[in-house]
Amino acid sequence: MVIGAWISVFLTLAIFSYLYKDNPFYKVAEHVFVGISTGYWTSMFFWTQIQPNLFGRLWPATEYDASSLWYKLYNVFGVFSSVFPGGGIAKGHDMDLIYLVPFALGIMMLLSVSSKLSWMARWGIAYTVGMAAGLRAYGFLNSNVLGQIKGSAFQLVNSNLPYFALVGESIFNNFVILIGTITGLMYFYFSREHTGNFGKLTKVGIYFLMVSFGASFGFAVMGRISLLIGRFVDLIYYSSSDFNYATLWILLIMIILLGYAAFMDKSASAEPPSQ
Amino acid sequence: MMKNIIELILSIGKVDRRWIFLVIGLAVLLPLFFPLGLPIRATNATQRVYDAVEELAPNSKVLVSFEYGPSTKPEIHPMAIAILRHLFTNNQKVYVTCLWPDGQFMAEDALTEIAEQEFGLTYGEDYVLLGFRPGNEAVVKGIVSNLRKLYTTDARGTLVDQIPMMTNVNKVKDFDFIFSASAGYPGTIEWVQYAADPTGVPMSTGTTSIQVNDVMPYVQSGQVKGILAGMPGAAEYEALIGSPGIGTSGMDAQSIAHLVIVIFIVFGNITYFIETRRAKKY
Repeated sequence: MVIGAWISVFLTLAIFSYLYKDNPFYKVAEHVFVGISTGYWTSMFFWTQIQPNLFGRLWPATEYDASSLWYKLYNVFGVFSSVFPGGGIAKGHDMDLIYLVPFALGIMMLLSVSSKLSWMARWGIAYTVGMAAGLRAYGFLNSNVLGQIKGSAFQLVNSNLPYFALVGESIFNNFVILIGTITGLMYFYFSREHTGNFGKLTKVGIYFLMVSFGASFGFAVMGRISLLIGRFVDLIYYSSSDFNYATLWILLIMIILLGYAAFMDKSASAEPPSQ
Repeated sequence: MMKNIIELILSIGKVDRRWIFLVIGLAVLLPLFFPLGLPIRATNATQRVYDAVEELAPNSKVLVSFEYGPSTKPEIHPMAIAILRHLFTNNQKVYVTCLWPDGQFMAEDALTEIAEQEFGLTYGEDYVLLGFRPGNEAVVKGIVSNLRKLYTTDARGTLVDQIPMMTNVNKVKDFDFIFSASAGYPGTIEWVQYAADPTGVPMSTGTTSIQVNDVMPYVQSGQVKGILAGMPGAAEYEALIGSPGIGTSGMDAQSIAHLVIVIFIVFGNITYFIETRRAKKY
């Protein structure tokens, strides 16, 4: 627990130290992050999908037959007993050999590391791209096109609504949505030059887009500040005596070392070059 | 006098960016030590999430999806905690899935804190952690069509068939409500596109601030019932359920930091206009 706190504090302050300038602390934290993330994701993918859902369907425990050729092959892999336990994989699946196809495509994707066989990776990628494109086309058409058109089709002057409201529905806000939607769409119509009356309307569309970008920027700032608050809350928590004042000690050591390095750099640059 | 003020503003405009980092850091840090207790009022979007959860009958089946990791924990975790607290207070059955691998850790943390320690609930009867499955939107599509094909075991390795609360739960339509705690792709948008819209199961969401503009059109059109927008959204929800937590404690710092940033933007713009005018003059 205490060691974990010290590591957490060190990594947080090491990343923050980049605000001063690029330095070895930052480099260490950056490399550790990349390495651990890769290892963690790989193991998660393997143990939550490949082992139970792929191997578990190819060699399920429910249909284990040690005399069959298929399970004799499985028993050869049994040297990796944590992945291929004796008696088949008991993850609740029935045998489904169609899963040999994604298994083969996955192996083909891994062949991209070989210069001679890298062409095979294209098959796996082609399948993934095709599948994703098909899935997404339906999702976007249904939710983003039809759903949004349906959402924008409302009664403009509804007597049940107030004329004006800062938040929530109102007749004024309905007009704002109408004008914003039409002029925003007009701005993205490029088959006609944006001049004259058409140009004026597209300019209104630009203003609506600007407001949207401004809101995005505001939200982005809010998000970053929230993350900073989260790190500060942890640093404050770890600065207590329960964690042997981890934050204070590491901060002090980092400041001393970075200050010393800056001083040495300054001294080295101030010295005249030797003849 | 005026000349001195202009020179002062110009000198602030040229200040080393590291001083700005320091000021922002202090603006965030000091309110954490000395809270101001600024008032928190729920927005319409947050109120809609609260109302949607309140409208659920007791023992409804609620699918909560964790799509965030340590990097976005300060924004999303408080709202995940608040939503779980609200659901368990109302005696709902909670089914947790994760579209992000690190979401599983976050879910374990939240369930241990709320379901086990605070409410003393029974795993498998009141809540279940189905865990992470890779595949992004394909996972959502899999849950929509046949959850059991995708999840034969839960995150603890127990066969799903042996979990009591999984009886008669086979696909998304068997749930009464979906809540996505999302920090990006895959997340809220995928749940809307592949689960909520095609099946008609109502859903709400809590997202990072950056995502709010992308998700808001779905909220405006009624495809999503409200949104918890970043840390302020979490704080507002905590206020609604009457249980102040991590979100609330960070709001003073959030407000002060925003004020300081606005001041910097104003100074930056004044400096820009003064310099532009000077450049034109000479």
